[in-house]
Amino acid sequence: MFLRQIYNYANLRASFHALQRAASSTGNTGTASATLLYNRDPQPRFTDPETQKLLQSMTQLQLEKIFQKTTVPDNSVDYKLMTMDMLEDEFRKSIERAKNRLQMPPVVQMKKDERRIISNDSALSGFSDTKYVITDITYGLRQTERKVVVRQTDGTLEHAPMEITKRMHQLYFPLTGRSIRTPRMFADEHLQRCLDEQKYLFILNRMVVQFDPFEPEFHTISSRVYQHINETKQFDILRSTRHFGPMTFFFAWHRCIDDLLYDMVRRDYLQNAAELIALLYKLHDMEPNYKNILKQIDEIKPKEDLALKELEKALKRASSDVKEDIQSAIGKTQVDFELDDLCLPFIEDYISKHALKKVQLELATQTIKEINAEKRQLFEGISKAHGVA
Amino acid sequence: MITILRAISRNLINEKFSVVNRVCFPQQLTYFHSGATLRCDVKPEENVNSSESNNLTADEIKKRQNDRTQVIPVETSMRYLKSSAYKETYGDQLVWEQYRRNHKGAIPPRKTRKTCIRKGVISTGNPCPICRDEYLVLDHRNIDLLQQFISPHTGQILSYSKTGLCQKKHFQLTVAVERARDYGLITFDVPFREFDLDEYYGKAEVKKE
Ligand SMILES: [Zn+2]
Repeated sequence: MFLRQIYNYANLRASFHALQRAASSTGNTGTASATLLYNRDPQPRFTDPETQKLLQSMTQLQLEKIFQKTTVPDNSVDYKLMTMDMLEDEFRKSIERAKNRLQMPPVVQMKKDERRIISNDSALSGFSDTKYVITDITYGLRQTERKVVVRQTDGTLEHAPMEITKRMHQLYFPLTGRSIRTPRMFADEHLQRCLDEQKYLFILNRMVVQFDPFEPEFHTISSRVYQHINETKQFDILRSTRHFGPMTFFFAWHRCIDDLLYDMVRRDYLQNAAELIALLYKLHDMEPNYKNILKQIDEIKPKEDLALKELEKALKRASSDVKEDIQSAIGKTQVDFELDDLCLPFIEDYISKHALKKVQLELATQTIKEINAEKRQLFEGISKAHGVA
Repeated sequence: MITILRAISRNLINEKFSVVNRVCFPQQLTYFHSGATLRCDVKPEENVNSSESNNLTADEIKKRQNDRTQVIPVETSMRYLKSSAYKETYGDQLVWEQYRRNHKGAIPPRKTRKTCIRKGVISTGNPCPICRDEYLVLDHRNIDLLQQFISPHTGQILSYSKTGLCQKKHFQLTVAVERARDYGLITFDVPFREFDLDEYYGKAEVKKE
């Protein structure tokens, strides 16, 4: 009788599976006291197209970092003969693949476990001395659509708690890289050791696979990693990975962007620095004038894909262009200088008004200003000497 | 092959393994670090009588060197791998690199031997790279050692047909590596997880449309 009930409820057509004795698990809860967490749902702000665009731009697309050497079981290489068109097509495809690798893990609110009872059949109480977990294993469903229900020993039929649901999903539809038991690496003391060894990328990559974005562990661990990075200032490890966006978003949300900003200015990523400030203004509804500067940046910025250009450069090396030679020698283009001019006042404005680490930031901007002025002089001098306008 | 081993162990013989604050005395050629020789130096009175220990019969010396009943702590092994004694024994090479299996005929048997140590004694003339050196302890904390058995190209554990480990030690190796990965002591490339964003943002996008 109760089977029919499940059929009706979950629309299980062909397959259902009962699992006896759902063993209780030992959930590990990290020390959440010191970790910053999202106080309200960050998802609408995160998925906003403008935010996404800013985050993507700040992440940067460095092909050699995305496609760096990894250990894979199959190390075979394909060699092909191609025409120029095919090769260019292949370049475009690899850029597309690189963008896929930069897909940011979702930033969503933490989900709380609540008891959802489907029916209370007291007649069934005592039918067994173990509870039954029934999982819908229909082919082709999404994990969120999959129903997992529990028949308690007292006859209550209810939705399984998140922890059991996750375990059942992993049992029937294993996700490669995820283990049923939480790796001990995520326990407090081991996580601290990994953080001290600065294995940030490894922790984050593993966390993304092991936990779902709405799980509390996902939030606590990621926030711990981000905060640790903020302390050690090793932002460059995450640059051009899928975690840079969420990290930046996290800092902007909690108003602690000063260290990241300093890093960006020091590395001469002035456009990114301006975007970071814009993101902060956007998230906290401060200084509505940030939209102007974003628009201006958009207008100046070259429309073509820089990464694609970089790839194709290897092909067109034969035809030497003086202008490009100068650019590669100095490392900056005319457009870059214009962008710097645009961004610097904006950054200085932020520093004087809102920054917490004013002195440090001011010094950094001053140095970068001087370096850029020198470069600009050199650039113009060489351009003039070569007769390139 | 044997001459190379001899050369290595000759270096070894002149070495004082200061890591454990004990002195390693020359006993016989072609032996790696074994606890038996060290243990006799723990007690001072035996240390004094070291000249006497040289007078032991060949059988007794062999017995001592083949003894594997003493358990070496992992911490000692970890220090050993960083010590100059280790450096002189193996140089820049991996622990298993110079090891060659003994077998009759041209084709080696598929599997290596089951174990090199039986009843606490080395029961073979050509123990595997881990068994021959008593100070190599397989444990998840001993990362320097485990890394030598992981391929830098595939990230997988090297086969015993390459490393020559006996079956017992190879099993212990897989357990240690798995544990080290669990604890996050060894980093590896985590498979990429592609998110179906609609699954997480679904509702919000429906609203926009
Ligand atoms: Zn062995």
